[in-house]
Amino acid sequence: MLSSREVLQEKKKNLSSWLLSLPSMIWLAFFFLVPYLIVVFYSFLTQDIYDVKFEFSLDAYRQIFTNGYLQPFFLSFKLAIYTVVICLLLGFPVAYYMARANDKLKNTLLILIIIPFWTNLIIRIFSWRIFLSYSGVLNGVLMKLGLISQPIEILRTNLAVILVMVYVYLPYMILPLYSVLEKLDFTLLNAAMDLGANEIKSFFLITLPLAIEGIFAGSLLVFIPALGAYLIPQLVGNQQSLYIGQVITYKVKNIPRNWPMASALSLTLLFMVAIMLLIIYAIYRHHLAKRSS
Amino acid sequence: MKLSPTKVYKGLNLTAFSLVMIFLYIPILILIVFSFNDSRIISGWQGFTFKYYIQLFHNPAIGEAFRNTMLIAGLSTVISTTLGIMAALGLENKQFKARKGLLALIYTPLVIPDILMGVSLALLFNFTRINTGMVTVLIAHVTFCISYTVIVIQSRLEGFDYSLVEAAADLGAKPHYIFWRIKFPLMLPGIIAAALLAFTLSIDDFIITFFTSGRGFDTLPIYVEGTIRRGTITTINALSTLMIGFTLFLVVITKRIRKILISAL
Repeated sequence: MLSSREVLQEKKKNLSSWLLSLPSMIWLAFFFLVPYLIVVFYSFLTQDIYDVKFEFSLDAYRQIFTNGYLQPFFLSFKLAIYTVVICLLLGFPVAYYMARANDKLKNTLLILIIIPFWTNLIIRIFSWRIFLSYSGVLNGVLMKLGLISQPIEILRTNLAVILVMVYVYLPYMILPLYSVLEKLDFTLLNAAMDLGANEIKSFFLITLPLAIEGIFAGSLLVFIPALGAYLIPQLVGNQQSLYIGQVITYKVKNIPRNWPMASALSLTLLFMVAIMLLIIYAIYRHHLAKRSS
Repeated sequence: MKLSPTKVYKGLNLTAFSLVMIFLYIPILILIVFSFNDSRIISGWQGFTFKYYIQLFHNPAIGEAFRNTMLIAGLSTVISTTLGIMAALGLENKQFKARKGLLALIYTPLVIPDILMGVSLALLFNFTRINTGMVTVLIAHVTFCISYTVIVIQSRLEGFDYSLVEAAADLGAKPHYIFWRIKFPLMLPGIIAAALLAFTLSIDDFIITFFTSGRGFDTLPIYVEGTIRRGTITTINALSTLMIGFTLFLVVITKRIRKILISAL
């Protein structure tokens, strides 16, 4: 039994918790939760020629499936998958090398990864435009080497979008991978090899399973922003094939605005993210269950 | 000499690391070099010049965008860090009834693409007929910073040594004395990390600002994007170089602050 004094103290603690968290709660309720409710509401409204009409309709959703809006979703999904896979393949050896370096070197390597990560996104994209553009550095070098006779169109292709996406999101993959690999007990690997396992076998049996948490975290950190990417496709992609982030932005930014369509597209994207999260979570749970058995 | 497989793998990892480093730094280095290039088009070196830096300082639009960026970043850092400290302290109490709800509100924005927060806030301001401008940008920035500040400060509180607080209480210290003299100083590294994170997130943000700023209130990323689209990019090289310098400055400052704090505590 709790004494009355303890009950009182418990109540007081609860009250102060309420008081302390109420401002953030109200803020997030107003500016995070409520806006999404309005998005849901608008997605079921009718679009007039110039503005939204407050009449219920499923038009926006119907259009998604009939008016070629699936293509941008598919393109973004493909981009997100490519970006995750390439970041993982590039990031893993890098994180592994960093994790096995000595402490002093580790810090320097970490800073080398963090500096581009902290550099303004738009500047990093802009620097690739200089590098890839028609009269840019890469074309210049390739021509001087005699590999091409005239400049080739590298900027404004889907390949450029993937390249810059990988460039921007690579640190998001490396850092979580590094933080799990750093905790990895490398004597396990030596033991496995002493017992006759070769490199490849010990990698798949020991390193990979132990690094799986970092792989999940990194993949999510790359996948989610890649799915909603606007700026990179806008600045280095070709404008014939649009990504879903661009389509949504145009619906909001171009006059006449189409709020019902923007809302329905946003919710569909949100739905895609939720499905992805559930799948990844299920795989993760499955993996944990397998490991504990 | 026989190469052991382990050595080969080590070599491969080092090669991968070096290639990734080249990949990460080449575009940035080219950008910096070309900010001193005396040529209107980007190809070819035409001689050294400082003129773009001088043009930069005579451009009132850039000055205003810079002031806007700093104002928004400063204010959103202060507000989101304050809210973050309070929420993290509130969440310390594991029996708190609304704990799960608040945690859900804090973590969900992190797993949703930024663009959706932009769209939903733009719609909110449109629906409520609030004119977009400085205030709406500030609201948006605080909204996406809160999650990060709460999480960073909370993770610091997780490893908190409560025996210090108990000892002080046993010795008769008053609650506010305990808070300001013991707890707050121990939380300080987390608070500073949270504030720096909020600050960088704020100055870096393009997409959410793009949706909530409207015409007439440009932050630097918005200004730079507009300029790139219009094709007048010569001063942008110089501006970018300065911004990269600012990043380096922040990295150094963070290390310094951490060192000072660790030696002070």
